Amino acid sequence: MAETKPERRLQTLRGFYKKYVKKFYEDAHKTKAEGKPVAWVASTFPVEMLLAMDIFPVWPENYASLCAARQVSVKLCEVAESKGFSKDICSYARCVIGSLFQKEADLPERGMPKPDFLFASTCACDTHFKWFQFVSRHFKVPLFLLDVPYNISGADSEHLEKAHIEFYVSRLEELIEFLEKQIGTKLDKNRLREITDISDRTSKLWMEIQDYRKTIPTPMDARDAFSAVFFMLSIPGTQMAVDFYEKLRDEVRERAENKFGIIENEKYRLIWDNLPLWFDLKFFEYLNSLDAVVVAETFSHVWMGRLDPSKPLESLAKKYLPNFANCSVDRKIDLIESLLRDFRADGAILPTNWGCRMMSIGETIVKEKIDKSLGVPSLIIDVDSSDWRSYNETQVKKNIEIFLQILKEKKQEG
Amino acid sequence: METTPVEGVSAMSVLSPFRDLLLTRHDVAKGWKGKGKRVIGWSCSYTPEELIHAADALPVMVFGNPEITKLADVHLPVNICSFPRSCFDSALKGDYNYLDGFVASSSCDNRDKIFDMWRYHVKIPYLHFINIPHMITERANNFFYEEILRFKASLEKTFGRIVSDAALKKAIQVYNENRLLLKEVYDLRRKKPPLISGVEALEIVLSGIVTSKEEHNKLLNHLLAEVSDRADPPEGGVRLLVSGSVMDNSELLKIVETVGGSVVVDDWCTGSRYFWDLVDSYGDPLRAIAKRYLNKIPSSFMFQSEERFGHTVKMAKRFDVEAAIIFVLKFCDTHMFDAPQLMEEMKAMGLPVLYLEWEHSLSGLAQMKTRIEAFIEMVKGVE
Repeated sequence: MAETKPERRLQTLRGFYKKYVKKFYEDAHKTKAEGKPVAWVASTFPVEMLLAMDIFPVWPENYASLCAARQVSVKLCEVAESKGFSKDICSYARCVIGSLFQKEADLPERGMPKPDFLFASTCACDTHFKWFQFVSRHFKVPLFLLDVPYNISGADSEHLEKAHIEFYVSRLEELIEFLEKQIGTKLDKNRLREITDISDRTSKLWMEIQDYRKTIPTPMDARDAFSAVFFMLSIPGTQMAVDFYEKLRDEVRERAENKFGIIENEKYRLIWDNLPLWFDLKFFEYLNSLDAVVVAETFSHVWMGRLDPSKPLESLAKKYLPNFANCSVDRKIDLIESLLRDFRADGAILPTNWGCRMMSIGETIVKEKIDKSLGVPSLIIDVDSSDWRSYNETQVKKNIEIFLQILKEKKQEG
Repeated sequence: METTPVEGVSAMSVLSPFRDLLLTRHDVAKGWKGKGKRVIGWSCSYTPEELIHAADALPVMVFGNPEITKLADVHLPVNICSFPRSCFDSALKGDYNYLDGFVASSSCDNRDKIFDMWRYHVKIPYLHFINIPHMITERANNFFYEEILRFKASLEKTFGRIVSDAALKKAIQVYNENRLLLKEVYDLRRKKPPLISGVEALEIVLSGIVTSKEEHNKLLNHLLAEVSDRADPPEGGVRLLVSGSVMDNSELLKIVETVGGSVVVDDWCTGSRYFWDLVDSYGDPLRAIAKRYLNKIPSSFMFQSEERFGHTVKMAKRFDVEAAIIFVLKFCDTHMFDAPQLMEEMKAMGLPVLYLEWEHSLSGLAQMKTRIEAFIEMVKGVE
């Protein structure tokens, strides 16, 4: 059995938390203290618009995952439950709602700075705005909802319905009105183009990095990807993101060229759907210990839509509307099938999420489809992103081991 | 389970037809088909039924069944709302084999994603999906109007029949009449004790959702003409408002009303939120329909939460309730998020409030009964 030895981990990712995540929250608090605007933003909201208005975006979902990694998420969830929130709602939401009732000093990174505005979209789920409505009432700050059409045909950015793009763009125009009124300055169109351009470069770099993971053995694992994706989600339109991804790209490229794998004895190449168990990121090392490695995550592939700086609003529509949370399951099936083929993967792990309907419904269809179209086995595991109370570790790990045994037998036959 | 008669309420001639219609709804729909008409299922109260009516088809809401959802459970994990799960299960069982089509819409995450299940696992000749904006703005109204046009074109293309303005106006008239009659029926419960029970009122609304509105209007007119002479009015009890997403059978309310509660008004999509708002009978009928459906009393998936809570408060006052019970289907995110705020609104009115999570299959019913009974005793004690 080949354990991941420390020296195999990517250099660029060493000390990632301290260097980038911790610093991000320090900067957020500093910005707030200087009296500059800070916003809480839900994922799939086009943050490029906020960056163009010099608003500092903080991500409650990221904060919840951080709390999970620091093993305090369950405590915070329990606080939310004591305020009347069901234990069946999104654990990100419960964790963040719980943090509102804790002292700053008791929270990791002193919590999130108090927001001046809240921004959510219906693009990923209803939970985002329902959760933010509570936060809005709690802090008495305005919430802007970017209401977007559900992409029922599962169209990619080139095949979206015209009416959907138009509606999205019209909502962005309303967002600009809102921002200009709230901030008191006009949106600088050049600045927006600049941000869009940087965000596009970030996407391009991230795509390159993912491409190198197709190499056998793969130079990068899910553990690293779920850390590194931080910039794609949080601040894709910043030079800091570009610089980081250039460094990461160079390292991953070098390893791919030298065929230096992230694990020594790569036997099973896996695709991972949905979210990781943020409270147990060592789960991926556990897979490594069984000679299995995650070569691609659907999560890493939904944020890299390209942007055209000459048409910022329209290209933001094209970037976000095809996010598979906002699409029929067909889009996810297409993505997973192409990942399985392009990354020469042997199987897929399909985690559901206790508090998330979007991630829990449809995995059975994905499983059937990829078995039929590609003959690839997959495993559905019932987990949660931040609340370990609904996670049966023994059962899940037993199923993983049986699953890997199936892959092994299939390889021997094949 | 569905055929158990209501304890303490004898079925009088003007009320029993509603219950009969509800219980025989599949046969009624099949009978309609026997006359050469089409039947189209729908899943969310934002579906503009008038268009289906104007296309000479019978719109029926797809309900679940009160049983364990064995067939749906193969495809869905545990942590999914049991109402759309049960509807999907009914479809898998073949209860809805008579449908000529099914119309879904972007109402909540559970239903958006379960529509994929229908697409993959239910054989149905025609499927259509309506995009509902989740907030009310001018642009959202324009977008929704376009969606309504798209729906009309889709019906016309599929069934080879023009949906004319005249047919739409006729549908609006029939539907509005139904809405006004239902309001009158609801007002019978403002009396103390109410002239009809909560169970009866629910069965009246539900039967109208799954049968022809013309037929339903006849029955409602008959009921309203006769009901004041009713020999066996309900006994009454603690006057309650019940709140939730949907309630597609009367089992829970039967429990409430057998332990001393008297359900005098509701706030859910198969009750007051279904019929409270009218369609404008003037101007362009399609625009009027689009406007009514998007701007009606909001469901909890709409951004306009304050209006939703406002409606609940208004209902609580209009029907002079003494307490409220919030029934939230487990894993119904939007209602679970609304619950703490809604409870505050009720408490601010001085109303005791009970929050109950329930499963559509009614598992854990005995325990729920105990909690409801204790709550009603508590309310009585306060008085």
